[in-house]
Amino acid sequence: MAAEAVITEKTPYIPTDADFVLKGDKAGIEVDSNFASQSFWKEVVARFVRKKSAVMGLVFVLVISFFAFVGPSMNEYTYSGQNLSQKNLAPRIPVIEYTGLFDGHENISTTSGTKMVNYYFENKLTDVFYWFGSDNFGRDIWTRTWSGAQVSLIIAVAAAIIDMIIGMSYGLISGYFGGKVDMVMQRILEIANGIPRLVIVTLLLLVFKPGMLTIIIALMLTEWVGMSRIARAEMLKLKEQEFVLASRTLGAGSMHIIFSEVLPNIIGPVITQVMFSIPTAIFTEAFLSFVGLGIPVPRCSLGSLISEGFNSFTTHPYQIIPPIVIMALLMLSFNLVADGLREALDPKLKEM
Amino acid sequence: MSKRVYPRAFSFNQVGVIMKKYILKRVITAFFTLLAITLILFILMQLMPGSPFNDEKLNDAQRASLYAKYGLDQPIVVQFFKYVFNMFRGDLGVSYKISKNTPITQLIASRLPISIGVGFAAVLIGSVVGLLLGLLAAFKHDTIWDTLATIISVIGVSVPSYVFALALSYQFGFKLKWFPMLFSAKDVIGSSVLPSISLSMFTMASIARFTRSEMIEVLGSDYMLLAESKGLSGNKLIFSHALRNALIPIITVLAPLVVDLMTGSLVVEKIFSIPGVGSLLVNAIQSNDYNVVIALSFIYSAMYIAIMLVVDILYGVIDPRIRVAKEGD
Amino acid sequence: MKKKLLSIVLASVLTMSAVGCGSSAVSGVTEQTGETQSSADTAVPADQAGSEAAEGAADAGEASTEDLNVMLETPVESLDPQQATDGTSFEVIADYTDGLMQMDADGQAVNAIAQSVDVSEDGLTYTFHLRDDAVWSNGTPVTAADFVFAWQRAVDPEIASEYSYMLSDIGQIVNAQEIIDGTKDKSELGATAVDDKTLEVKLNVPVSYFLSLMYFPTFYPVNEEFFNSCADTFATSPETTLSNGAFVLDDYQPAATTIHLTKNADYYDAAKVSLAGLNYQVIQDSQQALMSYQNGDLDTTLVNGEQVDQVKDDPAFQAIGAGYLWYISPNISAVKELDNLNIRLAITMALNREAITTDVLKDGSAPTFTAVPPQFAAGPDGSDFSANQEMFSDICRYDADVAVENWNKGLEELGITELTLTMIHDADDAPIKVAQVVKEQLETTLPGLTLELQQMPKKERVQRMQEGEFEIALTRWGPDYADPMTYLGMWITNNSNNYGLWSNAEYDKIIDECTTGETAMDAKARWSALYDAEKIVMDEAVIFPLYTQCNAELISTNVSGIEFHPVALNRVYKNAVKK
Repeated sequence: MAAEAVITEKTPYIPTDADFVLKGDKAGIEVDSNFASQSFWKEVVARFVRKKSAVMGLVFVLVISFFAFVGPSMNEYTYSGQNLSQKNLAPRIPVIEYTGLFDGHENISTTSGTKMVNYYFENKLTDVFYWFGSDNFGRDIWTRTWSGAQVSLIIAVAAAIIDMIIGMSYGLISGYFGGKVDMVMQRILEIANGIPRLVIVTLLLLVFKPGMLTIIIALMLTEWVGMSRIARAEMLKLKEQEFVLASRTLGAGSMHIIFSEVLPNIIGPVITQVMFSIPTAIFTEAFLSFVGLGIPVPRCSLGSLISEGFNSFTTHPYQIIPPIVIMALLMLSFNLVADGLREALDPKLKEM
Repeated sequence: MSKRVYPRAFSFNQVGVIMKKYILKRVITAFFTLLAITLILFILMQLMPGSPFNDEKLNDAQRASLYAKYGLDQPIVVQFFKYVFNMFRGDLGVSYKISKNTPITQLIASRLPISIGVGFAAVLIGSVVGLLLGLLAAFKHDTIWDTLATIISVIGVSVPSYVFALALSYQFGFKLKWFPMLFSAKDVIGSSVLPSISLSMFTMASIARFTRSEMIEVLGSDYMLLAESKGLSGNKLIFSHALRNALIPIITVLAPLVVDLMTGSLVVEKIFSIPGVGSLLVNAIQSNDYNVVIALSFIYSAMYIAIMLVVDILYGVIDPRIRVAKEGD
Repeated sequence: MKKKLLSIVLASVLTMSAVGCGSSAVSGVTEQTGETQSSADTAVPADQAGSEAAEGAADAGEASTEDLNVMLETPVESLDPQQATDGTSFEVIADYTDGLMQMDADGQAVNAIAQSVDVSEDGLTYTFHLRDDAVWSNGTPVTAADFVFAWQRAVDPEIASEYSYMLSDIGQIVNAQEIIDGTKDKSELGATAVDDKTLEVKLNVPVSYFLSLMYFPTFYPVNEEFFNSCADTFATSPETTLSNGAFVLDDYQPAATTIHLTKNADYYDAAKVSLAGLNYQVIQDSQQALMSYQNGDLDTTLVNGEQVDQVKDDPAFQAIGAGYLWYISPNISAVKELDNLNIRLAITMALNREAITTDVLKDGSAPTFTAVPPQFAAGPDGSDFSANQEMFSDICRYDADVAVENWNKGLEELGITELTLTMIHDADDAPIKVAQVVKEQLETTLPGLTLELQQMPKKERVQRMQEGEFEIALTRWGPDYADPMTYLGMWITNNSNNYGLWSNAEYDKIIDECTTGETAMDAKARWSALYDAEKIVMDEAVIFPLYTQCNAELISTNVSGIEFHPVALNRVYKNAVKK
């Protein structure tokens, strides 16, 4: 194979342990530290800022976060306040309503045909405005969407941290040491993976009270597996490469190789995986409420809003749209930022 | 540390021997892993709240006699060994609740093939479309195509599959009537189209993203430059050089998804009324139908372990520098 | 013991006819066919059969060539009549199996396999004479031995049937309890085959509603020879089931999502069966179900409250009584604040039940202000036990001012200014919705109250209630038989379903009198005693009743004659007609 020919020309020399003797003077072998400390982070920022899509993503993230914390208090409604006489009202926004959009009308497709209704006028609610509409309890969807985004953002951050710390370390260590260590660690992973998630979270219910902490514990128990697999695969791919060998030859310790040599080189797939664990975590949270471990009602998250809105999907589709759009925007901007970060951090793209 | 040995030092024959030994070892450990999973599940099932017979209308005496009938009153160790012994004879026990007294082998025999079929179609759609999207995005890096592919995969992950399922069913089943809205044994292929597509969205999105990020990295690497400068171009360059090097993370991501999809999804099965094993597992957990939970988890784990073994072997095939199997371990 | 002895002589324990629900948005009552079985000598003809019913009767007999397509919410759990416990399984079993008696449109027992019944004067011996033309689908005649075999299975401790109490506690068949307990052999059961066509049943005490138990699937016959030929696979496929009813099962797998039955040509009453077959489709997603109905793939489907806006003007829309009473159960013994009567009265007064049913559930469920829900138990004069929902309106109604008054009084007595309670409820669609409204209603009405909600899987909720580990719970109870006792029996001291562990000697005495005492023999006196008992429950606010569940259904206008019942068999299709 041509690709191998390029990279794996090796002499048949079989090195022995005697070839790898610690040179001594550990501090002196911290490779590249001189170079890195001078300009690495500055350059990362510069490279990131140069990428327009990444900056745009960052702006989006900031805007969504801003609304997540300020949005719920932008009108007179609260996330839990019910008003059964104003339930299932379509979105209506002042001023814009005169364009015919967001004027509170909706088309209901009944079994006997589609009809257009505007409950605001039918119920004489002329000075009532629900910007994103109201749900089946008459709660304001605007307020709920943003306070849901708040919860989901926290979960997203938690998921990313869990992935990075637990999943990545597990995979890197398992892949690097290989052999028996890998064998044992992978079997543990298989066992953990073989127990249905629903069983684990149901058991958690016995020990913990519902709440954010419990959600994070549940995520910790279930979300790290994917990342650890990616990290292990990357480690397997990289650990026989020249730069690792070189580092080892120079006497670098295992942890140094794992976290300072290999880690920066796998930042691409790691970041991509983090991006995928975020929506998974957000939906896992909604799934947890299935066993009573999610965010306790009437509090909400994007995930629980989507599953609530799902019940009215064919009747009042406007109820599911805001959480899905916010979710998608959030994911899009996360991805753009991640992409920018990936390129900014990739050591191979460093201008030497 | 044992002697470090480089792959080139071996003849293919030697590699084959090591491989065989390695596979054999993995199969043996898989056996014990599965036993461990079964034992852990046995213990966890005891800890689960409720019982298969905690209907409000049963009194204690009735419950006790039901426990006795199914041998659930015996010590956990006895139950475990009995279960394992029966399992070797192909008997996975009977369901206590969700399909009373039905042998679980019978339940699984009729349902697993359906889940595997729908799941396999989803994997196929997801990986092919995802790969193409990812390649497109990587080759047209930083263009409108890249953004478009990004948006599609972002939608794929941020909209849950049940929303896709209902939207597809509404549009293509109810409005346009192209495909049946519900699964039907009479039209397995036609009625699997919508569920497979809704299931494939997440796979599609992940494969697309990973392909993109890997390809961008590979395309920018030195040996691609070298290969290009050697005059290689076109398909050969992409497939035998670039894609080959991007495959490892793609396979790593895809493998568990294959198992997840083939063992059924609760929500999609629910929406399309598919008689698969995904909904069976969730119902079983919710009604404490111990035998069904254990049997299905066992099958899931066995599939997962098998696929992980395949993946570890594939690593070596794709990139000969990776040696999961080592002499002396 | 949970199932109270009901050795009582009731003039008539009637199941009310298919229940129309109270909501004004709901159009009507189920169609009834005016027919009675030709052989039904105990049947009471439905007197209110309308013109539609007459039409249905005229059409019956003209064989339709079409299947009726029916939506099921859950798959069948078991087709073994002695093992099944859920409504779906009962419904399907009853499609292809006739018992000694079947249910008519009014929910009363009418002769089926039994041609006539002799009851001894002391009410302790029932002799059933079986009809000669009843055959199993393999050609074997249905004999008394088939019933004996089935009933012995029902009490066999090895089978451990969950519904064995239907024969012992409720049916009072001689030796049933002893066999269940393992002290006697199953051959000693008080049901014997005198000859092929005569079945004799002996009871411990007179049970007036005994005949109405005969339509309960636990009492359905099983052919021993066929059963043995199936070994362990009985009732797991069309090949391992036998039919003696209106339809024959021809497509079924355990936990299947589709089930098909074809009209049974050998059925003794085949001339009356109009449908060519029944086609069941399990659909768990209500929106998919509605779309399938609109596409014409279903003739009848259940509708979720969210979809009522889409269907409320449709003539096919109906609310069908489901019998369940939903209520809130306070843990009186464990939570000292809830031990305070004023606090409990405040809570029940602060609940706006109409808002819950009309604004949130929207499926036709009826607000309920009595401990025994309406429309399932009829008294000696044939009237509904709980028809008058204002009977306890001094205690149980929506009145925010009185609620606050009681509340403040209660807080003062307890010496506190605020109270936090946690309500547990099932993680299902309806309870989640109801719990959220209840929280809002109580918190806005009662100052200082915080109601925290904790949802969990049903089994977990049930277990917590059984173990007394809850403060306040949203729960439901469905009637087992058509008598108020199925509810009132729950709140006697030490009953395992008395979750609040409330205890009242006077109440226990009344219930005891009505069960085995002298009052039990006098239907009228018993009836008024039961009202006294219910009054105690309400006065003490032992439970806070919320609503009686209804199911919103769409039944295509070209289909008539489906019979709905809140107990035992939820739907019967024998007389259904599809034009």
